[in-house]
Amino acid sequence: MIFVRLEPESEDLTLPKPNTVLQLLNRLQLGRTQALVIRSGELLTPDRRIHDGDRIEIRKVTSAG
Amino acid sequence: MKCRRCKALAAVALPSHHAGFCPDCFRKFFLKQVETAIRRKKMILPEDKILVALSGGKDSLALMEALTRLGYQPVGLHVDLKIPGSSDVARKTVEDFCSRRGLRLIVADMEEWGLPIPEVRRKVKRPICSICGKIKRHAFNRIALEQGFDVLATGHNLDDETARLFANTLRWDEAHMAGQSPSLPAENGFARKIKPLYRLSEFETAAFAFLTDIEYTTAPCPYSRGASFTAHKALLAQLEARSPGSKISFYEGFLERGRPAFQNRDSDKEQLAPCQYCGMPTSAGACGVCRVRQLLQQS
Ligand code: SF4
Ligand SMILES: [Zn+2]
Ligand SMILES: [Zn+2]
Repeated sequence: MIFVRLEPESEDLTLPKPNTVLQLLNRLQLGRTQALVIRSGELLTPDRRIHDGDRIEIRKVTSAG
Repeated sequence: MKCRRCKALAAVALPSHHAGFCPDCFRKFFLKQVETAIRRKKMILPEDKILVALSGGKDSLALMEALTRLGYQPVGLHVDLKIPGSSDVARKTVEDFCSRRGLRLIVADMEEWGLPIPEVRRKVKRPICSICGKIKRHAFNRIALEQGFDVLATGHNLDDETARLFANTLRWDEAHMAGQSPSLPAENGFARKIKPLYRLSEFETAAFAFLTDIEYTTAPCPYSRGASFTAHKALLAQLEARSPGSKISFYEGFLERGRPAFQNRDSDKEQLAPCQYCGMPTSAGACGVCRVRQLLQQS
């Protein structure tokens, strides 16, 4: 399992562990450049591996306006 | 993925540039894009006094940060609209950003200007966003004019610009296409208007904001009816995902080959005179914003 915080909705999700950031984005139906993916204060590129128990913040970048 | 420049672990992947960058090289890449935009479109001359419109969102704050890092000395301008639930957060975000970085900030308080948006919304029948936009532009222009700024910079990015161009194209809105540019010359007593982030996507400005420790607000305005361009942005994002680089070539191609055709139409140039109340250039005796203010005072 991994723990995902979605911003700006401030929504918390618990998901089965995907292998990579790209898989995680796909599962949330987000394109590679539609959100920042942050783990322990670090930005992750789509090819990075995800580990069991990871806490990840997903920050969507589209501003309303 | 490795950084294209230094081979360290990449933090940002940019499909449109077929490249990944580590945090340090990404910041350099970003600043270089801003520098290129400024140079190619002759946005800023030496000695220019620069005013940056700061909403508190990531784009305007990233712009302020980038200009400062490039050695400019921009002054921030925040328009406090007095909208419950969003204006307080926005103002505090901008004030904190500027004080932490030692940057000069001007706050235009719409309550003091006799134009608090909630009251405007109650009294004026037209859709609030168009009037609110008009009031913001009025405040920017007026502060720029009264305080002697040469340039007014806004944080519009490539996604904003392509979404707007797409909307204008769908309607073949010739007048707006003639006027859409990342650098509009000073005219009729208005300062030059520039968009130094026009080559950078929303994703890139968000990454830059994150990698320069910018705290920005995402609190939506309660009057927003789900921004009109969001659907267009989504369409363009799909196109970009399928063929990376389409957004920038759509926009740069328009600037080079599309816009000149519309500009040549020489749209009937309006005769402008100073507004009798605030002195801003207008085609009527009193400008649109002063008429709204009077309406509020009457009732
Ligand atoms: S969404 Fe809110 S802040 Fe934006 S233009 Fe409309 S009323 Fe003004
Ligand atoms: Zn690097
Ligand atoms: Zn006026």
